[in-house]
Amino acid sequence: MLAFLTNRFRINPKSLTLPCGRGPVMIALMIALMGSAPAATPSFTVGWSVYVGWNPYYYMAKSGILRKWADKYGINIRVQRFDYAPSLDAFVAKNIDACAMTNMEALDMPAAAGVDTTAVIVGDYSNGNDAVIVRQNLTLAQIPGKQVMLVEKTVSQYLFERAMAINGLGAQIRRVHYLNTSDSDIASAFLTNPDKPVVVTWKPLVSQILKAKDVKVVFNSSQIPGEILDLLVVRSEVLNRADGSGQKFAKAVTGAWYELLKLMSTAGPGADKVLAGIAEASQDSLASYKEQLSTTHMFYTPQAALDIASSPDLKKTMDLVRQFCFQHGLLGEKTKSVDDVAVQFPGGAVLGKPDRIRLRFSTTYMQLAAQGKL
Amino acid sequence: MSFLRIHAQPGRTAVWTLSWFLFATGIILYFYVAQERHRENPDERVMPTIGQMVRGFSDAALKPAEEEEVQTTSGSSLLSRFRSSMLWKDTEASGRRFLISVALLFPAVLLGLHMAMFPVIGAFFLRFILFFDKIVALSLLPILFIAFGIDELSKIMLIVIGVAPTIILDTFNLSKSVPSEQIVKGFTLGASDFSIAYRIVFKQILPRVLNSIRLNLKAVMLFLFAGEMIASTDGLAYRIALLRRHMGMDTIIPYVLWVALLLFLVDFAMNTINHKLHPWFEAA
Repeated sequence: MLAFLTNRFRINPKSLTLPCGRGPVMIALMIALMGSAPAATPSFTVGWSVYVGWNPYYYMAKSGILRKWADKYGINIRVQRFDYAPSLDAFVAKNIDACAMTNMEALDMPAAAGVDTTAVIVGDYSNGNDAVIVRQNLTLAQIPGKQVMLVEKTVSQYLFERAMAINGLGAQIRRVHYLNTSDSDIASAFLTNPDKPVVVTWKPLVSQILKAKDVKVVFNSSQIPGEILDLLVVRSEVLNRADGSGQKFAKAVTGAWYELLKLMSTAGPGADKVLAGIAEASQDSLASYKEQLSTTHMFYTPQAALDIASSPDLKKTMDLVRQFCFQHGLLGEKTKSVDDVAVQFPGGAVLGKPDRIRLRFSTTYMQLAAQGKL
Repeated sequence: MSFLRIHAQPGRTAVWTLSWFLFATGIILYFYVAQERHRENPDERVMPTIGQMVRGFSDAALKPAEEEEVQTTSGSSLLSRFRSSMLWKDTEASGRRFLISVALLFPAVLLGLHMAMFPVIGAFFLRFILFFDKIVALSLLPILFIAFGIDELSKIMLIVIGVAPTIILDTFNLSKSVPSEQIVKGFTLGASDFSIAYRIVFKQILPRVLNSIRLNLKAVMLFLFAGEMIASTDGLAYRIALLRRHMGMDTIIPYVLWVALLLFLVDFAMNTINHKLHPWFEAA
């Protein structure tokens, strides 16, 4: 317990001002830990993890594009790579200001933990990146009663249960035996264990598994387009900071994001250079990254992202996701009703109790980007 | 300032106070920060309050596990409710793996003894085990999967591969350190090879070997947790890995304390048994 505390203190002394801002002892401690007082320039940290739709954050920082936009708004932005689960932990613990995550995790991690969260950029949706893979031509209907390897309570399980539901097998789901397998080992674990017939995972692991003999994809995320969204979320309290620095931060990140996406999507040798730079984020080759991009529906223009964020489909998707989260206890033991973690959409529509809005989809910054006003 | 010197003699109360001081500080600091965080965010999950942890733990320990059909209702006793709970099932699964692994460490002790006593066996195994001891088993997981699958066997083998070399080498060194005069004396009194190995050497080193196994329990637990987090359908670490996915710290912290308590009890039991069996053995 003690180690946990000191660790927290060391990682980000700044965050101490939030819970314990009053105590003079804490201030002394804070100063002691920070060494000297930092310059007045507000700084922000963006956390990301390796995934085809998030690797651009790595290149954005490395290429200087982000620096340029941060300078324009007079702020500092740091980009930090995490493993996925720790990045969520860091965001919920308020150690970082913004984080790349899916719509499902945005709901069941920060929002359900009471951290008011705003989705600023809708980056892409998985259009085949996530897949249910089987051996020996098994069909979905034959899976109940068998073992399924996946990372439980994640988008993988969501995909699998949607696959079952869409195929009229919803009632059979409880007969499936899930084998919770860490994503760092799932590919080798599946490949070396022929007695395990089904695996659900995501790219690049999917590509790796499909190289084996006698396996095939029976369902993938392109059959539920737009349901697994990859977002950049910012803590709402950061956005609402009185000095306006949070909004500058959101503007700078959004500006840098769409500048980079434009470079990515403009055909020619320039784009390949950019894509190779992005692939470096996950130690991938250009070819492999391009292959992953082919099953990712990137919203290259702010207008495309705006269209999905303001369409009524987003509400349907989020309803499916929140029902899934609630049924699987992902919103927490204490959450007695699915409406207790409410989601607000652009235009003001709300799913759930209006006084308990925890996740907000904002089109403000994408709108500004579309209008060229950043 | 004599109370800071080597020959200081703190009184009973002073010792008691000093030894609990860090516990108290840790607990107070935790609840202070937790309370502040809850004031700011009523849905705070990272640092649960004591009430939430008690509720989380009693849910885990007294409510029937979710997969179970509802058979035990309000009428049943506390014990039987505990026995159908998530906590008990997880403890049972992890405990079984733990005990099997520890039991498998005893052949390792015998191997170490024989390596030390019989030069041919020593020559055969020693170099390989010295090498094997330096292999970080966790980084070879894919190969372990091929050899042992991903079910129970691989978890137990991960522990055995991780801990057995240490035990073998420790037993080897302990056996070697028995003075050769004793062995010579044993032979002059007509002892056979095996009575030298088992009745002179083994008897003397046994308490130290048990101690060494006891000190390695933490390593056993670490490998067990690593194994359960990689792929499993039950167990204490499986539950913690799942709960992490929705920040169920209100259950995770009591789980961690429960594991600490169990480990402490096993450690204590082994220590007591060791002292009972070998009252002549003084080392801590």
